[in-house]
Amino acid sequence: METAGKRRRLAAYLLLSAAFLLFLGLSLASGSMTLKPGEILSALLGKDDGAGAQVILRLRLPRALAAALLGGALSVSGYLLQTFFGNPVAGPYVLGISSGAKLTVSIVMVFALQRLGALSFPLMMAAAFAGSMAVTLLILLFSGRSRSMATLLVVGLMVGNICSAVTDFFVTFADEAGVANLHAWSQGSFSGVSRENLLRIAPVILAALIAVRLLAKPISAYRLGETYAASMGVNVRAFRTALIALSSLLSACVTALTGPISFVGVAVPQLSRMLLGSSAPEAMIPGTFLLGAVFCMGCDLIARTAFAPTELAVSTVTAFFGAPVVIALMLRRSARREEA
Amino acid sequence: MEKTARLALVDLSVGYGGRAVVQGINVSAEAGEIVTLIGPNGAGKSTVLKTVCRRLRPLSGRVELSGEDAHAMTARQAAARMAVLLTRQPAPDLITCFEVAALGRYPHTGRLGRLTQEDRDIVEESLRQAGAWEIRQSDFSRISDGQRQRVLLARALCQQPEVLLLDEPTTFLDLGGKIALMEVLHALAKERGVSIVLTLHETELAREISDKVLCLKGGRVHALGTPEQVFTPGNMEELFDLPQGVYTPGRGIRLRMGHTKEGEG
Repeated sequence: METAGKRRRLAAYLLLSAAFLLFLGLSLASGSMTLKPGEILSALLGKDDGAGAQVILRLRLPRALAAALLGGALSVSGYLLQTFFGNPVAGPYVLGISSGAKLTVSIVMVFALQRLGALSFPLMMAAAFAGSMAVTLLILLFSGRSRSMATLLVVGLMVGNICSAVTDFFVTFADEAGVANLHAWSQGSFSGVSRENLLRIAPVILAALIAVRLLAKPISAYRLGETYAASMGVNVRAFRTALIALSSLLSACVTALTGPISFVGVAVPQLSRMLLGSSAPEAMIPGTFLLGAVFCMGCDLIARTAFAPTELAVSTVTAFFGAPVVIALMLRRSARREEA
Repeated sequence: MEKTARLALVDLSVGYGGRAVVQGINVSAEAGEIVTLIGPNGAGKSTVLKTVCRRLRPLSGRVELSGEDAHAMTARQAAARMAVLLTRQPAPDLITCFEVAALGRYPHTGRLGRLTQEDRDIVEESLRQAGAWEIRQSDFSRISDGQRQRVLLARALCQQPEVLLLDEPTTFLDLGGKIALMEVLHALAKERGVSIVLTLHETELAREISDKVLCLKGGRVHALGTPEQVFTPGNMEELFDLPQGVYTPGRGIRLRMGHTKEGEG
């Protein structure tokens, strides 16, 4: 069985890697200017510096890599939240955590643009992290330790709506230039991620992922619930603190750069569990990251090309694929309850 | 003697939010001893166990593991000495029974939790001992409650504890399962020297397996002694508020058929 399980995981990783390369290739090739594989290759290798190469290196490659890196980070953030709440419908968007980051970033954006004229990257990150943490703690306060999916969803929905309402309030009263900037960002898009910001955020995400990997052992034990985990040697308080901090950090990284992106964090961990056939964190952490990368790259590709030249908000596409997963989870859980 | 006991409850008072549920408990378990907690519903058996396993802080008094304060230890230090089997079963899916049992190696493995060959051997031995080796490849969420209980017991054995706590371990088991579990526990105590503390509803089983029986009622220790001392008609009638003549040692319960229940007729 052990070998059968390993073989399945290997197959899943191979499949995901292949999908990753496929979507990356498609992302580089398609758009207003369609490029052939040969042209892409020579552009990537630096042998060509024509208009096509410029489009690839300046626009399409950073955008595809941003979708992959941030999509992966968002998915792992969702996985940590699901572990934390012991609840499969938890996710940074569904629980309003992305909206919290959106709110704090909007406030900082409006004030920074008025006072400083520009918004520094560390300031934006700090604002996003503070917003994410604040909402996570708020939800914890309201929902307690309720294991009910409905309670968590309703609390998340309400908190998210409150945050969005306050954001709208600020947007309404902000000055014209600020609003244009804010409005594009608050819709959620990978298009605004600059190469510089991508290079700045990558080490943060990498460090967070390494920290998550180091938590694999307690995450594994935590699958049996808090009491069993504690009785087997998990320092529950430190572990739970690490879970929320890392989850908030990862989703803050994404929201700061792209704005809120819906349903990725909740759907991808569930899909990767099914794909891997295992809930073991050693498999789930890389699997969830990879699937999240593939998922977001694919969704961004659709958002960009489906109705070109009009571009869809990426959340429109991620919601289209992600929301049904949440519905399926709810139905399956209630079916199981009736069975029991 | 109390200094050397594997597990000692010293002047222990337990409860929630400062309100005592049971007060003044003094009992110890030596290596290989089985101590059973009995008493009516709500007498605080589970609260005592929760305090011993460090879920709850004692209101006063101490829980000692070989003379050391259990509540002053780190989770990992305590887990290397004491394992727990809870009444409520967790239900994670997409995890095999082998993996669940192997989680019990937690206090003994390194930072990444990798299993060595020695760890794997211990997991196998524990699964065999708990009677769960045959289902090691099954998904934990797709087996019966009784089987799940065995896997969780195997997990506790993987911790190689000196003290094993079990909160109503017979809840999900049929008669055959109950007897098999009692035999496993007895072997653990007598062959491995594990000290076992458990709560039980079945007085017949408690009589058979226990070295000491702690009776709880009305917020205090009602009686403490060997099964012979405790399972007397007088004590049991008092403990469970039974009508006279219902409890007969040796025969267990004798129902008084034909006796009209209150509220009927």
